[in-house]
Amino acid sequence: MKLHYYPGCTLKEKATALDVSTREAMKRLDIELIEPEGWTCCGAEYPLTEEKIVGLAAPIRILRQVREESGDVLVTTCSFCYAVLKRANKAIQDDPLKHRRINAFLRDDIQIDPLTKDRKTGFEDYNGEVQVLHLLEYLRDRVGAPKIQSRLKRDFQGLPVAAYYGCRLLRPQEEMDFDEPDSPRVFEDFLETVGCSSVDYAFKQECCGSYLSVSLPDAATEASYRVLRAAQMGGARAVTVTCPLCFYNMDRRQEAIKEKFLDFAGLPVLYFTQILAWALGVDRKVLGLEEHAVPADSLFKEVPVTEVRT
Amino acid sequence: MRVTLKAGPEQRTFIERIEELCGENVFACYQCGRCSAGCPMASEMDLLPNQIIRLVQLGLIEDVLKSKTLFVCASCFTCESRCPKGIDMARVMEAVRHVLDPKGSDAFGPGEIPPELAKELPQQVMVALCRKFAK
Repeated sequence: MKLHYYPGCTLKEKATALDVSTREAMKRLDIELIEPEGWTCCGAEYPLTEEKIVGLAAPIRILRQVREESGDVLVTTCSFCYAVLKRANKAIQDDPLKHRRINAFLRDDIQIDPLTKDRKTGFEDYNGEVQVLHLLEYLRDRVGAPKIQSRLKRDFQGLPVAAYYGCRLLRPQEEMDFDEPDSPRVFEDFLETVGCSSVDYAFKQECCGSYLSVSLPDAATEASYRVLRAAQMGGARAVTVTCPLCFYNMDRRQEAIKEKFLDFAGLPVLYFTQILAWALGVDRKVLGLEEHAVPADSLFKEVPVTEVRT
Repeated sequence: MRVTLKAGPEQRTFIERIEELCGENVFACYQCGRCSAGCPMASEMDLLPNQIIRLVQLGLIEDVLKSKTLFVCASCFTCESRCPKGIDMARVMEAVRHVLDPKGSDAFGPGEIPPELAKELPQQVMVALCRKFAK
């Protein structure tokens, strides 16, 4: 089965672990991931003022391309891409002004050849036909826990792991419609499906500091510490994330966190797809574990490598 | 300190512009403070989110525009999810950043990211930061 997949800019260079583990895991669920042709950066931030609507052009161009390739679903793993694509799609569905202006812009851009200035014909407005799904949603609704469980090759034996949602997946609820913003379950259910046990802790939907990591590094260090510390207090052996920026803030920043907060001893950070891929039998060497600043190998080593189900 | 509460034409234009940009009714705010109570970055701010919206209501333009808070907000939407009046405070912040003097310098531009740091940063953080804080 073929499925449209939007990796986004970061997964192609700095977060290849997320990309590779997603591909390997999906292969084992008999799903072939295809990227929309000529995809670009989604813009990373959904424009929040009414005048900056040109920021919608990039995500809508990507979604329109998926429709042109007869796709009806686009799956992403990065939380930032997911939020931008999903909110832009909803804006096109709900706001006639944005629909008109973005389609007018794309029509010119797609129809007029940049070199010859010739105009091609046959542009159909994009009306929000493609459904944007996060991989966690796709696994829950389209693949289903029974199918995943029937393909499991390794057993985590209830390894306690913390699910970290961060900011972009859940809010604003009206537009994201992902899960309950204050008591989400989809990530925990996923972890339990693949054989881990999910840790309940207070900061699962708090901010990790996001892009302030560059402009106000101390603030991001403190925000990430709060999340990691809460997860550790809850008994977690690792924190799982969906977003390369959460990963950067919590993994790469851990040296700074340890220096500033002496009560913190370190905690591995994993992408949820690394957990999935490993449980489905993917070799540890292709999970991209060398990208981690905080070593996570031992988590996979101590779990019995014998195949528990065939 | 005495503060004049009467909004003149300049103040009214400012308030209307903010509302037009963010699409929120800033006068719906009754200062319950839940946005500030939940804000993960509140400790870094010189004015709390509820104070920003109060200053916008009063049309105290200069106080709003010089606040450090505008560039501390990470748009995590925690305030949005907790506001009992349904105001999206992240949008209000973005609108205020938008009306800052367009000729002014970037609060944070691409040139300020050290090259050695840029090598290890995820691309998305650089795009997001410049989208939010650069002109």
